[in-house]
Amino acid sequence: MPLKDTGGKGLATVEDYYQDYDSRARELRSQGKKIIGYLCALTPLEIITAAGLIPFRIKGDVNEPITLADTQMETIACPLVRSCFDISLKVNRNFLDGLVIPHACDSICRTYDVWKYSLDLPYSHFVNTPHLTNDLSLEFFKDELNTFRKSLGKFAGKEISDDSLSQAVKTYNENRARVRELYELRKSDPSQISGAEITRVLVAAMGIPIEESVEMISGVIDEVKQRAMVPTKRLPRIMVVGGQVDDVAFIKLVEDSGARVVADDLCPGAREFAADVNITGNPIDGIAERYLRKINCARTYREKKGTYQEYLEARFGHIGRAIKDFQVDGVVLYIYKYCDPFGFEVPAMKSYIESQGTPVLYLEDEYSMSTIGRLRTRIQAFLELISSR
Amino acid sequence: MTEEKKPEERKRRKTATEAAGRIGPMVKAAIRENLQAKEEGKPIAYSFIVCAYEEIIRAMDIVPAWTENYAAICAVKRDATRFLERAESENFSRSLCTYALCGLGFDVWREELGEMPPNPPWGGQARPDVMLGSGQMLCDPRNKWYQAAQRYMPDVPVYQTSLPWPPYEDDIDHREIEGYYVKHAVESLRGLVEFLEKQTGKKMDWDRLSELVDLVDRTWNIFIEAYELRKAVPTPMGTGDAMNTMVPLAFMLGTQEAYDFYKDLYDELQRKIANKEGVIPDEKYRLLWGGGLPSWFALTDFNYFNSKGAVFPVETTYRMAEPVYRLDMPKTSDPLEHIAWRWVKYWTYWYDKARKRPGSHPDVERLIQYIEDYKIDGVVMHEAFSCRTWHLGLIWQLNLLKKVYGDIPSLILESDIVDISSYSEVDTHNRIDAFIETLESVRSNR
Ligand code: SF4
Ligand code: SF4
Repeated sequence: MPLKDTGGKGLATVEDYYQDYDSRARELRSQGKKIIGYLCALTPLEIITAAGLIPFRIKGDVNEPITLADTQMETIACPLVRSCFDISLKVNRNFLDGLVIPHACDSICRTYDVWKYSLDLPYSHFVNTPHLTNDLSLEFFKDELNTFRKSLGKFAGKEISDDSLSQAVKTYNENRARVRELYELRKSDPSQISGAEITRVLVAAMGIPIEESVEMISGVIDEVKQRAMVPTKRLPRIMVVGGQVDDVAFIKLVEDSGARVVADDLCPGAREFAADVNITGNPIDGIAERYLRKINCARTYREKKGTYQEYLEARFGHIGRAIKDFQVDGVVLYIYKYCDPFGFEVPAMKSYIESQGTPVLYLEDEYSMSTIGRLRTRIQAFLELISSR
Repeated sequence: MTEEKKPEERKRRKTATEAAGRIGPMVKAAIRENLQAKEEGKPIAYSFIVCAYEEIIRAMDIVPAWTENYAAICAVKRDATRFLERAESENFSRSLCTYALCGLGFDVWREELGEMPPNPPWGGQARPDVMLGSGQMLCDPRNKWYQAAQRYMPDVPVYQTSLPWPPYEDDIDHREIEGYYVKHAVESLRGLVEFLEKQTGKKMDWDRLSELVDLVDRTWNIFIEAYELRKAVPTPMGTGDAMNTMVPLAFMLGTQEAYDFYKDLYDELQRKIANKEGVIPDEKYRLLWGGGLPSWFALTDFNYFNSKGAVFPVETTYRMAEPVYRLDMPKTSDPLEHIAWRWVKYWTYWYDKARKRPGSHPDVERLIQYIEDYKIDGVVMHEAFSCRTWHLGLIWQLNLLKKVYGDIPSLILESDIVDISSYSEVDTHNRIDAFIETLESVRSNR
């Protein structure tokens, strides 16, 4: 390791939660809290927190063979969703009180009922996020969020007030600001924090209440800032782009192959923490705006305005900017099999990035330790190519 | 490339009805008309089925090019592989919707050559002037496919309609929220009209639109009325034919021809019933095709079922209509509003039924209704690996069906809609044989 760990609360807590992901949720539940499982970055978490409930992001496990899920869900769903479902059947259902699923992609939308009926929890709700970002869709989405707010309020036993929503907005924005601060520590060369560490932090944070996340990440920042930098050989700086990467295995593989993952467009990752909810008179307005327009995910269709080149900028400009900001040497597109939203983007995304002079490696994977391992040679070859440039 | 080694075309499938036999030539003519229209400079729109915009484009004399249909044609002719490979060489994953891959592969090739790829099935697919996608709850390719195609045709504008419908929830009656769904759909369709007017220079003729909306209502009605005749024993028409006779509903809606087709089908089925003429003379098992698009390259499997004494009097696939008089539609003089209501009411049609049976679900209620109405002995589904839309939730539906209704033999076949490499005739027939044995033993144990 090029960095010397100073040890301390932040990263140690992260490690605990990363290793035992649902421990905090189970603990809170035993204290009488209600835990709401959810999928995907599109779930409007502020509303769940404002209801006095604890959102718990469902994650998969690349080390756990998918078995139970296959008795209820076809293997043609994206392997991440299948793994999440498998873990939910095996473990999560024992401590979840409810389930919220946003309209993300087909693998999620078309399996909502499978989740709902199989887990059979006291509460479930589908947030019908529209696909377009125009004003019409924004208005619709506000109505849809109000439906969710009403429904969840009923379950929580009290109406969700504007004040509690505004408070939740503030806390989530605070958390996003912390993550962005943490990302700043990736900009130096070598970066002060590794990609694997970042993933661990963000994953650990998905399973705990938001206030605790703010505190934990602040601790990590303090700790990392104190690290003594040990001079090392310069390693290629890599950006990883893809869907939900909620396991450190792939990032670790890239780094163990002789690189530093310094930037990403992933979930959890930059995609989620880039933009805040604006403070608006009616808090739903700001929430709707962020979840519909500011999360730049392939599942949301951005209307073409201007030239085709400008259109590519609107879709992938954030990747281009990250390449500059984080001095990225190469981009890995890490896309799951059966993922239609990202899959259809690959040719355009790849050529956009390459046109800026940055090499791209496109990998299709199946979210399992065995398939991830098989990618090693291609990653090594890619890193060699970068180093020889 | 692989274009030289074109696989052998399949023998034509034997149809039970005259109507189904007419479809092949009709589709061929439609594709020719598209190419002709292109030459005459008429605006061509890449279009999807189940997007509720049929009347709008017909009323504006815009010529739809149904991209799903063209991919299926390539598949039927067993000539899709070279297009799939083209798309794959562009870095589109082979796990994506193979209609889309086939279409994209074709587009890439056509754009590269500046003319049709060599020996295109039925003359090829004309270059579009606009592409009409849709964001809804059906499928991601409905908005990602044309966006991806724009990379090869950056000058061709895309319009996406946005047409979600209320999901089925325990704590919300869909009627509480359908208002804002309908409003949203209306405005989205209005946006489409504006877009088409701007792009093609054509003006919407609102009176004509109203007429076509009415024509579509009547087509939906006669379509279901004809299909419900298949309840007869022996059934006069099976799912194999229905995979043909869906064409006017899917690709010709809003034309008089589509209406007339179902009127003729209705008459033909009545004649057959009067003569006790079934798909097969000795009908042993009546099966429900309970989900999944067919393997277009292997439609003769339906004849294989028939050869074992099994018929399919009903299917959920491509039965994308309900008689409008059953939909509880509010009256409106705005044709766009009418379309939007019909859309939302169609998708929520089975909700009330599901609420009446504890633990049930609309999709399962539909299966139950068909099982009862059509005297069904078993359920067959097809899981096409490349389309999540229609093929996720099949296993669960069967599980739930057994839980809330009772045991019924079922079979899920696995292959694809277009990608023939996923298919093995021997395995498929073995599985069908085993299923028939199950049906037999269930019957003899009764
Ligand atoms: S990776 Fe793709 S298919 Fe899987 S959940 Fe994310 S968007 Fe959906
Ligand atoms: S994903 Fe399914 S529904 Fe969507 S275009 Fe492809 S085949 Fe049709």
